[in-house]
Amino acid sequence: MSNIVGIVNYGIAGNIHSIKKAIKEAGGKTVIINKPEQFNEVDKLVLPGVGSFKDAMQELKNDGFLVALKDNKKPILGICLGMQILATVGFEYGKTAGLNFIDAEVNPMLVDAKVPHVGFNHIEIVNNNTLFNGLENEEFYFMHSFEVVNYTNIVTLTEYANHKFVSSVQKDNIYGVQFHPEKSREAGIQLFRNFINMEGEK
Amino acid sequence: MNTRIIAKLDVKPPYVVKPVHFEGLRKVGFPFEMAKKYYDQGADEVVYIDIVSSLYQRDIIFDEIEKTANSLFIPFGVGGAVRSIEDFSKLFHLGADKVAINTYALQENPDIINQAAEIFGNQAVVVNIEAKKWDTYWECYSDCGRIQSGKNVIEWAKEVEERGAGEILLQSVDKDGRNRGFDLELCKIIVDLVDIPVVVASGAGSLEDIKEVIEYAKPSGVAIASLLHYDKATIKDIKEYLRENNIKVSR
Repeated sequence: MSNIVGIVNYGIAGNIHSIKKAIKEAGGKTVIINKPEQFNEVDKLVLPGVGSFKDAMQELKNDGFLVALKDNKKPILGICLGMQILATVGFEYGKTAGLNFIDAEVNPMLVDAKVPHVGFNHIEIVNNNTLFNGLENEEFYFMHSFEVVNYTNIVTLTEYANHKFVSSVQKDNIYGVQFHPEKSREAGIQLFRNFINMEGEK
Repeated sequence: MNTRIIAKLDVKPPYVVKPVHFEGLRKVGFPFEMAKKYYDQGADEVVYIDIVSSLYQRDIIFDEIEKTANSLFIPFGVGGAVRSIEDFSKLFHLGADKVAINTYALQENPDIINQAAEIFGNQAVVVNIEAKKWDTYWECYSDCGRIQSGKNVIEWAKEVEERGAGEILLQSVDKDGRNRGFDLELCKIIVDLVDIPVVVASGAGSLEDIKEVIEYAKPSGVAIASLLHYDKATIKDIKEYLRENNIKVSR
């Protein structure tokens, strides 16, 4: 079994508690990761979202996570801002280099509608992925003002105000979802279950 | 875009109460039980407002909030008596996804909106506006419709958006708890005025009232209290009715 999930705890904000609760509901065990050495204790990692792109990268650096994340080969799931910082570069409060795991940039959503995009919305699976087993056409909870612009690693798309954006990505061991599975009812729990049940590299 | 259907709990710890016209409280249940019930019925969010702590200058009572957060796998907003960045921080750690502020920002220190938005992200900062209608304008009130501020609702709504609020929860002192429909003009003006999402509350007495405010003002969400608390309708009933009337809602 490889069901011990480490939740990377960086910075001061963020709702780690609800991710922990949802993973437990999905049948997994969680460890809150406060320092990179703890990566050894877990099978998989979740990277939550915290504040802005710029602050998040700074906090990861301050807490010594940048190198550890780059060396990591375990499956990692970025959630919301945690997905956005997987990209090459972000444009929130200036231009900031991201983790560069996914060839993408993060830009403000330009739509003729209210931003942030908030609420339950559908996903359209464009490339089959075990993370979305049994979740075709489900709804997930979104709460974001920026979007990941990528063309090569798309798993799902979502439409908001006649604008389609990338709502999840995957490349090798790297997974990212723009929505909040921990806030998405049973569908979100199922996504965590799929993540927990994936084969991971030790 | 789906209109969010949100269950609103007005809490006088440890009970959910139903204020009538922001006065005269009736106990209707415990927050965590009611939140769970509305979650099971398909609510898109739950918002919990401690309606007495600010008025009594009391600290926020955290136990009920944590218990309520633990019963949900949907977004959870919390407000009432928020006076500092530490309060925001504590509430997020207990499981809140958004924190709503009114009195302190309105009457004492609006800069807290900027600070909170910068630290926690815009989407996590909600400004709760209690509007009271006068002849030609609406005035912002605080402390559950008891204290005047002299501020015009339209100016304040624009100001909080500029300061970085990610959402407005719009309540009407005149319509709250009356179950006779929303202040439609107010709702429309504020929705059209700002670019951030506006959730409207105060006045849902029937399914028709909810449909009417969505069609007229196009808010991002509708917050509903007594209609649900007194089992006059379930979230499921509301969503089915709206869907039949060609209004998009989530499952």
